[in-house]
Amino acid sequence: MVMETVRVLQLLLLTCCTSAPPAAAESGNYLVTAPHPSVLEIGTNFTATCMIINTAEVTADDLYWNLSQATVPKEQYTKINTTALNVTIRVSGEKDEWLFCFCKKVSPNVFLNPGKFMHGVSLQKGYRPRKPENLSCIALQEETFISPKITCSWVAAGRQTKVVVTNFTLILKVINDVVTVNVTTEGTSASVVLPIFPNFMELEIWVEAKNKLGSIRSERLRRESGYFVKTNPPANIQIISEKSFPTSLLINWKPPIMNQYVGLTYEIRFCQNGSHDWAYVPHVDTARDIQSFRLQNIRPDTVYVTQVRCKNYREGFGYWSDWSRNATERTPEDLPKGKPDLWKIDSESDVGGRGVQFICKDPVLSNGRILRFDMKVQGQKDKVKNGSWESFPVNRSDLSSSTFLKDVLLDDKRSLKVFVTAVNSVGRSAQASLFIPEKAHELAPVRELRGGVHGGQMWLQWKPPNTKAVTEYVVQWVGGDGMDWQRENRSTTHTVIKGDLEKFVCYTVSVYPIYSGWAGQAASVEAFLEQSAPDEGPTVRLSNRKPGRNEAELVWTEIPQSKRRGFITNYTIFYESRGGLHSVTVPSNTTSFTLKSLTGNTNYDTWISASTIAGSTQGPHHSFNTLKYAPGEIELIVVGASLGFLIVVVMTMVICISKKETIKKNFWPQIPNPGESTIGYWSPDYPLKAETPKENCLSGISVLDVDMSDGKMFDEDKSSLPLKKDKYLSEEHSSGIGGSSCMSSPRQSVSDSDEGGDLADTTASTVQYSSVVASNGYKGQTPSSQPQAAIFSRSESTQPLLDCEENPDTLVQEGGGRHQRFLRRPAESDPAHFNQLLEMEQQEVLEPLDFCPLEEDSELTRADEQSADWLPTAPASSYVPQLGGYRQQ
Amino acid sequence: MNGHVKRMSFQQFMELTTTLLSLLLVMAVDSTRTVAASSSQECGNSLQQTLKLTRLAQKESVLLIKTYKAAQGEMSELFCKVSVNNVPDPNISGLEPSERIASIYTHLQSFMAHFKRVYEQQTDLQLPTSPLLGELTVVSARSRGLANLINSFYQSLFPNLPMPEPAGGPTMLPPPQNVFQQKVYGCAVLKNYKEFLSNVSRELRTLKGKVCRRRIESNTFLLRMT
Repeated sequence: MVMETVRVLQLLLLTCCTSAPPAAAESGNYLVTAPHPSVLEIGTNFTATCMIINTAEVTADDLYWNLSQATVPKEQYTKINTTALNVTIRVSGEKDEWLFCFCKKVSPNVFLNPGKFMHGVSLQKGYRPRKPENLSCIALQEETFISPKITCSWVAAGRQTKVVVTNFTLILKVINDVVTVNVTTEGTSASVVLPIFPNFMELEIWVEAKNKLGSIRSERLRRESGYFVKTNPPANIQIISEKSFPTSLLINWKPPIMNQYVGLTYEIRFCQNGSHDWAYVPHVDTARDIQSFRLQNIRPDTVYVTQVRCKNYREGFGYWSDWSRNATERTPEDLPKGKPDLWKIDSESDVGGRGVQFICKDPVLSNGRILRFDMKVQGQKDKVKNGSWESFPVNRSDLSSSTFLKDVLLDDKRSLKVFVTAVNSVGRSAQASLFIPEKAHELAPVRELRGGVHGGQMWLQWKPPNTKAVTEYVVQWVGGDGMDWQRENRSTTHTVIKGDLEKFVCYTVSVYPIYSGWAGQAASVEAFLEQSAPDEGPTVRLSNRKPGRNEAELVWTEIPQSKRRGFITNYTIFYESRGGLHSVTVPSNTTSFTLKSLTGNTNYDTWISASTIAGSTQGPHHSFNTLKYAPGEIELIVVGASLGFLIVVVMTMVICISKKETIKKNFWPQIPNPGESTIGYWSPDYPLKAETPKENCLSGISVLDVDMSDGKMFDEDKSSLPLKKDKYLSEEHSSGIGGSSCMSSPRQSVSDSDEGGDLADTTASTVQYSSVVASNGYKGQTPSSQPQAAIFSRSESTQPLLDCEENPDTLVQEGGGRHQRFLRRPAESDPAHFNQLLEMEQQEVLEPLDFCPLEEDSELTRADEQSADWLPTAPASSYVPQLGGYRQQ
Repeated sequence: MNGHVKRMSFQQFMELTTTLLSLLLVMAVDSTRTVAASSSQECGNSLQQTLKLTRLAQKESVLLIKTYKAAQGEMSELFCKVSVNNVPDPNISGLEPSERIASIYTHLQSFMAHFKRVYEQQTDLQLPTSPLLGELTVVSARSRGLANLINSFYQSLFPNLPMPEPAGGPTMLPPPQNVFQQKVYGCAVLKNYKEFLSNVSRELRTLKGKVCRRRIESNTFLLRMT
């Protein structure tokens, strides 16, 4: 094989040698490659030859091959002779490539003219076509005949490249005819159109796949033309319901096409309306070319949907048509089959006894609309009702499947037998019965009833009662707003509830054993089909008891059953303060809890979360404050404080009593009685008694309270006194105006002077009243120029001072008087000299008889506090004339 | 003794040979029966296929006559009652099945030529959208297909008997006609064609019993001879 290939290549080379050199010579190339195939098949070997022409400068040993810029290994080279070199490569990959022949730079000419020492082969690749598979063709019905257009499809095996594209030619040949049509496509389906559809003629169809690398034909599909036909579905489907055949429906239809074109067989399917569980009529029953069929053994009074389709009757020929449109019809009614499902709902009566409500479902095979239930109640001790039937019409607007028949109030000592039949338009069903025993003789319930949920269904399991006489069981479930029941046979100990249970609703499921019609006692369990977090959380509040300092009792209400959506597993109490969030979990049967270890005088925010196995829901928040003091704590403090105060008072009193003399001496020193002073009798025209209240009022005494610093300041400013004379005078004027009141404000007394404020700043806290200087002349209302010792008296006058009253002489005298007081001042600061000072004052008062001892005494009682205050007021001797003004009032 | 032994051996040899020959004969008969049955089945299938197509063509011809009458306007019934010459005879000629089948074939060829003429005439008389033209095309194509099937059936039945050429030479078409003549001619062609197909159906049913059964019988006869 290899040898043959080599020979072929050599022949090719010879061909190239004869043809390529002129071309190469034209282009000036010294290398020529061959062959140059239009396309190469991927996966095959390709051998190319590179020849040296028109030069002896290089030899085949100097040549090498590059494939996609990679040098081909020398192992793949075959040296033909000194001027020709073969290379064999494996064609792989779908990408186009170049195979170049180069020459090593063995000489300057090669170095300088590399373009003349290279030649390339373009490698375009592709796959050989593969045989098309799964050829199938179809001819559809068009109006009343088969379309002459035949559409075929196939599977294109193998791969294609962009360079080597495979075209498919569909060829259809009518056997025994000259007709052959074909169509070419790049896809995998095509249609050919014949003059007419060749009914009953043999067709031969095949596909030819072809590309640059070759062609191949598919298997030939040779069939009679009917093999490819797909007709329209049967038309005008009609269903006829015949009253005399309640379990049958007659179906009629028309064939979609004349049987001269295609002989048809049919397929029929039907189902109850709303169901998609189709029942198919066996093919053996749908003979060829039938146009009607009777469905039998179907349910009375049931709406059935029917569809029909057809195909070529020949086995394996043709395609099934689409299904016809739905044809719907209801079967006629028939007598109800079976018994109605009679059951009861027990209730407690307010007036005693048992309330029993009888309820009934249609028979399973009602075979028509149940118009009414006929009921007979038979009390064993009440013979009157025996044999009387009552009718209860069925309200069809009621969506529930059951009908409430009658409420019966039953004495505990009475038993009852109830019989019910269902009636439809055709007739009456068999009789159902239910017996209610006396309460004292109620029959045993099932044992160990358990319930649960598995696979989205609620299951029940129980053990039968010890007695063997159970004939069946009734499983009843009550939840939400509805109830339902189902019956189980006597051997059942495990069942699932077949009704539509709602999620998140608590169902009370009861199992009643039935003993030959006698209803036994119920055993019940509660269950949820699916649980979730409650709809709402419990509402928490404080109990009626007020919160304490460290504890608070919370109460909450249970979540309504309809909003629990699951079994409450526990409650979690959350309470939050600035100190953080705390929680306590309590069992589900708890509705109150006392929080302890709370912080006093703190606001707490609390809420409760109710949990089921599926989640939790928080209730509304509630805030409360703990007390600052615990109950009784305040009382304890008050009592303690009171006791302490009492002790202090008692101790003080004891001290006061024991130290009475000392205290009296310190706080109430012995003051000479002014009443005994001679001045009281001295002024004949001035009733001293009128001033008596003021004399006794200490607060009426004008006080100037100047501390020592003020005193010093005064001393330092003594030199400036003359400069401020007017001011002081003015101040003393105003003081005189308002100074009569015991409670007059010091502000009032200095308000008439701009600088009085300054003075007031220095003295305001201490100046209670300005002093008024009374001269002897004033006392006697006889102005006298003789020098007299200054006396102090309070002026009640609001009369402005006269100019004439400002007598410098008097001022000088007054200044002298005041001077004496200043000299005494240092002694006042010494408490030891206090009594001595008083004595001196008394002596001075007693010696000059014109002194007003009342005023002097008043001042002296506060000498230790006010002595300094007196200093700035001392120069105010100009008040003397004011006394005259006062007199005028 | 030796002679007796030799005789015994020869007898045993003859018995064995006879048994083998009998077995071979039974196998040959069985295989021949199988071939005959398959040939008969093929004959029946081919004939059945031809018969179906004939019925379809007949049905289409009936519909075509209705369409033709509807397309000719008033007095169309009258056109179809006028007798016309130069229209293929609907009757099948010949005595032997091969002759009758060949007659069917040549009749069909003849009708095809007339259909062509009718189509040309009606193209002038009808609107291009007239369903008559379409149906004429279909019927013409169907007659060609039927002719091919008849030919194939003939070839299968009588492989060594070439299909004879038409007795009267090429089909004689009528000379140029006026509109009335054209309408009368067209209806006559269609009516004769319908009748002819009816005859073909009948003939094929007859042939089904004759030809295909004869082949089975002839095969059986061959077996008996063997």
